[in-house]
Amino acid sequence: MRISRHPRISRRAAAAAAAIAVLLPLSACGEGGDGGGSTDASGKIEGEITFQTWNLKANFKSYFEGVVDGFEKKYPGTKVNWVDQPGEGYADKISADAAAGTLPDVVNVSPDLVAPLAKAGLALDLDKAAGKYEKEYLPGAWKSHQIPGMEGTYAFPWYLNTGPLFYNKRLFKDAGLDADKPPKTYDELFDAALQLSKKSKGKTATLANIPTIEDFGRYGVPLMDKEGTKFTFNGPKGVELLKKYKELYDAKALDGQALNATPESTGKKFLTEAVAMNPGSALDLGKFKKEAPSLYKNIGITPQITNTGKDNMYVMGVMVNTRTKQTPAAVAFAHYVTDAAHQMSFAKKVAIFPSTEGSLDDPYFTKEDGTDDTRVRIAAAKSVKTAVNYTPVLFSEQMKIELRNSVGKALQGKESPEEALDNAVNNCDRLLQQS
Amino acid sequence: MKSSSAVTAPRTAATASRAVTDGPRKRIRRQLPSSPWLFAAPGLLIVGIFILYPFVSTLINSFTDKRTLIPGEFVGLDNFRELLHDDMFWIGLRNSTLYILGVVPALVLLPLLLAMLVQKHIPGITFFRSAFYTPVVASIVVVGLIWVWMLDERGLVNAVLEAVGVGSVGFLSDQWLLLLSAMTVTVWKGLGYYMIIYLAALANVPRELHEAAAVDGAGAVRRFLTVTVPAVRSTMVLVAALSSVAAFKVFSEVYLMAGPNGGPAGEDTTLVMLVQRVGTGLTGRVGYASAISVVVFVVTVALMLLVLRADRKEDA
Repeated sequence: MRISRHPRISRRAAAAAAAIAVLLPLSACGEGGDGGGSTDASGKIEGEITFQTWNLKANFKSYFEGVVDGFEKKYPGTKVNWVDQPGEGYADKISADAAAGTLPDVVNVSPDLVAPLAKAGLALDLDKAAGKYEKEYLPGAWKSHQIPGMEGTYAFPWYLNTGPLFYNKRLFKDAGLDADKPPKTYDELFDAALQLSKKSKGKTATLANIPTIEDFGRYGVPLMDKEGTKFTFNGPKGVELLKKYKELYDAKALDGQALNATPESTGKKFLTEAVAMNPGSALDLGKFKKEAPSLYKNIGITPQITNTGKDNMYVMGVMVNTRTKQTPAAVAFAHYVTDAAHQMSFAKKVAIFPSTEGSLDDPYFTKEDGTDDTRVRIAAAKSVKTAVNYTPVLFSEQMKIELRNSVGKALQGKESPEEALDNAVNNCDRLLQQS
Repeated sequence: MKSSSAVTAPRTAATASRAVTDGPRKRIRRQLPSSPWLFAAPGLLIVGIFILYPFVSTLINSFTDKRTLIPGEFVGLDNFRELLHDDMFWIGLRNSTLYILGVVPALVLLPLLLAMLVQKHIPGITFFRSAFYTPVVASIVVVGLIWVWMLDERGLVNAVLEAVGVGSVGFLSDQWLLLLSAMTVTVWKGLGYYMIIYLAALANVPRELHEAAAVDGAGAVRRFLTVTVPAVRSTMVLVAALSSVAAFKVFSEVYLMAGPNGGPAGEDTTLVMLVQRVGTGLTGRVGYASAISVVVFVVTVALMLLVLRADRKEDA
């Protein structure tokens, strides 16, 4: 009653609510940000910047605090705020920050994360802003943050990682395989897997993962054209690989739950000796020792399966946000974190490999001391020198899912390998056009 | 001040009483037009920011080709046209619909039976009431992981099945069994919640009705169908409406059990999983994901209307 006697107020309120409802979403469509700072990194190194890492605080807090202190002492007048984000949902966090215009000044990225940021004009071109530092890094590592179809390099290379393949010697012996001669190529792998499955009457699979884009790369399948405009993994070589995997799946040499496996679930399967082989890193040895002593007693370590002679490696980078107000300080800090001295000291704390020129020749990566950890480290350091990041930088998460789904359909026999890969390539090309 | 004026100008009881009541009344009358809005403001603000704004924003985005880092342009009905030719959208729609068909009847009936069971006054029944409610308060992630562990090829359930000679069943590798397993988890987790709602409804059913029916020779089943069900029918409609909306929007159970990929070859993907997959990440297609969200919204509203219409028909 009372309210109805004041219709002007309710109408005004309704109008305001409607206006807010219409205008607020429109405001979300805006560009965000204010254009930011300069791409010129030659000015005085000063001011406050934010540095974001990817799940590193839990184990390396003191290391990064030392790096930040060192930088602030070297460049008086600078202040670095270090923030760390959890591993899970890191891409979502970056995309939310990028969309809201709150991306930190210096960000830890991988090549596939930097590609959309560079396309959106948020990653600084280091060829222009910091080209003088290029010679400090391994040529392959520097190129890993270049985007096909775009000029420039969009992140400093940071640490590299590659891992060996672990295998269960007991399961190999039980199947009548030579446990001291694990497979090195895909053909050897397929033969061993079929024998292992046959001898165990389908109870023990060799692998728990379906082939990823990296497997296609290591098998020697051309993944993308040079211009970066379309994918090419549906060629005869790709089809051949998928047919082999289908054979494994039918023979139960590939784990039954491989179609919806995650790295965590495959690791668990290997830990419980349900599968005979699994990729990993030097960090896993400690885990085997602690959580699965019987597996640890029978653990075998071999290089990654490859037909190209080159292992796959993962590259981490550090990019500078184009919207930073402190470009000189941000570029200087990104270089400081990734220079040879800091990469080497970080590598001594965790099983990663520096991307700086000459660092891999350090005795730490070449001299045996008889321990398992060192053996794995030296073998991995050797392979990383020639390793390749097979995953194309434009291969997004959605594209990975398209490939997984198509591979899944082929393995289940719902589509032929040719049809499945053609569909995957078509869908990935469509996503590429839309990106 | 107050005491001195009271001394110098003493008032009668009537005057004093009018002074006490008139002042606030005038103030209330003066404040009425804006004060309801002020009281409602916190709630309106929350609704506006967290419900109205995202809703309108999603609606607008569904007509654009907006991506995570690119604002996008108006594309009319293109996103909705694309939906019609997207196999994954139809898979999502199929799975979400199947979820309703599988979960809703179970969640309408089983909690009612459970409520009738724990309604009885027997020693130790409180323990069972609490036990049945425990899954409701358990974290869905923890629940999902426990079920994955139990239904794994080498898990507890398969170990039992192998021991009794049935052999291993691919609960987590077959697309249909996986969906069924996820439905089982949803039902198991929701039982306690709806049981509490039914307990409240059953408490209002007069005992005399049951006694009269029993005197007339009605058995337990007959009494259930002719006394209990009609008495709690409106609660059953409420449970059907709530559970069907929740089932159509299912995400966590399927995501946890089938993995982020949505099961073998993505065949267990639900519509909400598809929204998450398509619309998030640095290359997320916000416009297209919004179009899927709009479809989810329309279907959800249609479901509610359908249930309410069915209820009204019954009443008539």
